Formats: sequence, C-alpha cells, structure tokens
Amino acid sequence: MKFKKIVCTGCSLLCDDIIIEENDNGRIEQIIGACVRGKERFKSIKSQNRILTPLIRENDDLKEAAWDEALKKTLQMIEDSSNPILYGFSTTSCEAQAEGIRLARAIDGFIDSNSTICQGITLEKSKETGVTMTTLTEIINKGDIILLWGFNPIESIPRLLNKILFSRGKFRMTGREIKTLIVIDPVETASYKIMGPRDIPLLIKPASDLELIQALKKICKEEMEIPSEGIAGIDKMDLERLVANLVDSENISILIGQGMLQPSDDGDPLKELLELIEILNTVNEKGRVSIIMGGGHFNMTGFDQTALSLTGKNHSLQFKDSTLIDTEDNIITKIEKNDFDLSIIVGTDPISHLPLEISKKLVTKPMILIDNKKNSTYYVADVVLPTAITGVETDGTAFRIDEVPIKLTKLYDPPNDLPSDEELLIKINNKIKEE
Amino acid sequence: MIIIPTDNFMDLYKLLPQTNCGKCEPKTCMAFALELLKGNVKIADCPPLSEDPKYKDKLAQLQELIGAEEGKKKELRITIDDELCDGCGICVTICPVNARYCYSTLSGKVPDYPPDEHQLFVIKDGKCELLALDQCRRITAQGRERECRVCETYCPREALEISYDIIDE
Repeated sequence: MKFKKIVCTGCSLLCDDIIIEENDNGRIEQIIGACVRGKERFKSIKSQNRILTPLIRENDDLKEAAWDEALKKTLQMIEDSSNPILYGFSTTSCEAQAEGIRLARAIDGFIDSNSTICQGITLEKSKETGVTMTTLTEIINKGDIILLWGFNPIESIPRLLNKILFSRGKFRMTGREIKTLIVIDPVETASYKIMGPRDIPLLIKPASDLELIQALKKICKEEMEIPSEGIAGIDKMDLERLVANLVDSENISILIGQGMLQPSDDGDPLKELLELIEILNTVNEKGRVSIIMGGGHFNMTGFDQTALSLTGKNHSLQFKDSTLIDTEDNIITKIEKNDFDLSIIVGTDPISHLPLEISKKLVTKPMILIDNKKNSTYYVADVVLPTAITGVETDGTAFRIDEVPIKLTKLYDPPNDLPSDEELLIKINNKIKEE
Repeated sequence: MIIIPTDNFMDLYKLLPQTNCGKCEPKTCMAFALELLKGNVKIADCPPLSEDPKYKDKLAQLQELIGAEEGKKKELRITIDDELCDGCGICVTICPVNARYCYSTLSGKVPDYPPDEHQLFVIKDGKCELLALDQCRRITAQGRERECRVCETYCPREALEISYDIIDE
C-alpha cells in the first residue's frame, strides 16, 4: 500500500490535496479527497474510449496507422494548407500551449483557445477599467463577502465553495459563520441550497442583469434612491442589504460566471459590472472589491497567460509572415466566414460544444485531432494523433482559476509510449523547420 | 391532519415545561427531550407535564407529535445517498468535530489519511463515506451543541440525512 499526493486536473480548481492510494501492483486502489469530476479524470487513464494508436481516414473509415505515416500525412496536410486554424488547448499544459503558438507562427495560422468564448472576454474587458484580482487563499484567510454572479460552482467546480466559503482561514477562524454568501442568478441553482442566516439569495428576472447593474452604479454614487418597488424582480429590503454589504465590507470577491458573458441588445452587462466594481472601489473606504473569473477547463487561464507572455494578446492570434497581425475575428467568426482550409484541434470537442451551423462548416475542411479520448470530433477527423493525459501521465504547468501557476505531477507512464501534447507539437515543429 | 414523527429533539424541548425541576430521571428538560426522542422515557415520566393543568395544551401537542412511536427505542443514523453525493467535501470541512483534527484549505492543512479516529467523514472515490458515527456531536456533546445539524443543512445536494430510526429488537 502506497500513498501519493497529486494535483487533480479535473477542473480549474486544481486541488492540491488529493491522495492516491495504490495497491501492490501499482494501480489506483482509492482516490481520497477528489470529487466526482476529479475521480473520473484519474479513472479515465483506463477508459475504453482511450485512443492508443494514430489513425488516418480512408474512405470514410478511420484506419490504424504507424506514427511515421501519420506524422507524414499531418505534415503533408499542413503544407497543402495556406490558412490553417488551431483550436482548443484548454486541457493541456502551458508548455504545450507555447508550442502550439510556435506552430501557429511557423505555419502562418490562426490560433484560439476555448477562452475566446469564455472568460478570455472578461480578462480582455477588465483591462479597460483596471480590476483587482484576488487569489483563493486570500478569500479563505481574509474574505468577507463572496458574490456569485451568474455562476453555479456547485455543479461546475464542486469543491470551490468548500474551500473558499466553508474552510476556516487564518483571520476567519469560524469559516462559514463569518462569511456572507450572495448569489445573483435567474434560476434557483444548487448554490441556493447552502444559504445561512446572514446570506442573501437574490433571484433576478432573466436578462435583467444590465438593469440591476446600472441602477447599482447610480445608487453607489448616491445619484439615486432605491425605488420602493425594487429593481429587476429583487425587492427593496434585499437591495438595501446588498448595497450595504458591497460598500461597507473589507474584502469582497465577485465570482463572475458564464451567465454574465453574453452581451444584450441594450448594452454589455459584463463591461458595466466591471465599471460598477471600479465605482465600489472608490466608494468603499474599508476595503476593496476583486474578481475571480469562473472558467471550467483546468488550464484555460493558462492559454491566456501563455499567449500574453509570448505575443501580448490573450486569444485569437492571427499570424502572417511569422508575425502577429491585428484581427477582429475569433474562432467562431473565422469558421462562420469559411475563412480557413485546415483545422488542428487540440484537446477539445468543437463538434459537440459549438453551435450546429458552425460545426457543420468545420467538418467541410480537413481536420487533424490531437486528443487522448474519443469524442464527437474523433468521428469526423481526418487524422487522429493520440497523446498522454496531462497531469496524470505527463507533468507540466497549469494556471488555477485565480491565475496562480501550479506544477502538475506525473503519476504513471502513458500506455503504448504515447507522447505528451508538448512532445508531439515539438516533433511537428522540428519537422516543419527542417523542410 | 397527518403528523410526521419528528427527528428534531428541539421540537420536543419547546413543548416541555423547561423549568429543569429535577423530578424526572435525566434531571434536565433538554436531556429529557433527547431521551424521549430515543424512546428511553415516556411522556408520563415528566410529573409536572401531566399534573400541572397549565401545561395541558403542550401535553396534547406532545402526544400528537410523538404519537404511536412513544416508547419505541430509536437510534441516530446519518445516511448518505451515493446517487446524489458529488464529493464536494463540504460535510468534511463544516463538521465541527472534524474541524478539531483537520480542515481543508488550498495551501494549509488538509485532512489526514489514513484518517484520525475522531474523523466523521472522508471523501473516497468521489463519494462521501461515514467513518465514526459515535464521534458525532449528537452523541458526544452536551447541551444545545447536541442539536447539531450543520452537515445536513449545508449539503448542497441534499444527499445527507440525519434521522432517528426505530431499532428492531
């Protein structure tokens, strides 16, 4: 019996307190501490859906191929293409992401990660107002108010509230009792089930976040009184408590969820929310308001950080003549306009998560898939290159939900000596250089 | 009207005289309420309740609340529904008994494994597992602390349930 400590790569929380109990054969006996998402991640190394050999499509069927043959075909496809797109990279290490950007630069391609339709938007917009970021450890030890706006971590990141809300921190010894949870959501999600006596559950009318934020901005600047009939389906007393908590607390963290990312016809609620935070930071004399961007993939923030450090732009990078050029496009508009002739997908499943119209267009062009398990995209790809599972079979670096870099650990050797995403991309990059 | 037999001894305590007169066996009203719930004593074992006419209403309510289950021996159970539980570990962190030996933070101390003998819950393979029910506050603590239900209250999946079940003898 052996115990090993490991970082879990099930979601963006990257829990570092997971213990693996091994039996005498060196196989996983039990996983201690991990939630269902984490458990499935570790169990997936023995999954029936693992891809173990490279595959090439011949007459509508995927046929097993040797590595040399598959790489040769891949290079041929890259050479034949003049406008390739690279997409994915949220579930791989930062090292592999850097290689992906180098590949895009070498082949004059367009590279984008899942953050382009997720929290990359928040990161980009927060630069216009200047927003303070916080870390989860700070919320544990010093947090007072935790505000979930359009975010339901109970479903997406199961252990997040356990850590930041329930844990007993250094200056918040009583943990749950001393922290206040505020939830703003149009539906009563599972996050509403953990409300304590001082918490504020707010059910907002659907698509009226903008109305509430604009009113809060005026109320905080004392340009407006709280109307007696309430705002956006929230009554006056709840609003009074909300405003009092926001302007008169020491440490406020706003967790922005995916529900806030969609702009409406009247304006952009996310931009307004960031402006509200800026106002709160001037009005609040006791402390400050900071944000956490609630993304789900374990290294989505990593792509933003890697791209920023290598190119100065966090997503939607278009290269031409090996230099970065300005573009308004993102992966969706690129595919919509049919502005590509080859797609290289790394560790994601666009066929099942992009809109049907977009994925229909994506299928019309040749596709290379780099992934470790079968998914919908697997069944339409022309070349499939299998890799090891990052964080279990290879090490690397990943960025946690609060933009803190975490070192991932290797636990087992991959089956069939599969290369890691990083090794495979280096190999492709080197071959392109040789030519 | 259907009366659901209560699992909460505070409901029973509210209907007792709350004078701690010392005429019954456990001596205090709080302890009497718990013994009443477990079936170790009967309502008639509280002399003021049946003798003093000012408690007439309370007596009637109490008899209605306990109903046919009076005198049947009951035992504390914590049941965890594996279908609902997603292993978030809130019960591990929030349990005041666990907190004395371990608490989970991102960079601080984490629950020990193999667990301490006092630890109540552990997350194994993505599901919560009950380790030592005899350490629960509902058995070991005194006074109001005995009416502890934090694990049940804060379970976001409502997978955890505290109950007193009749034991077959």
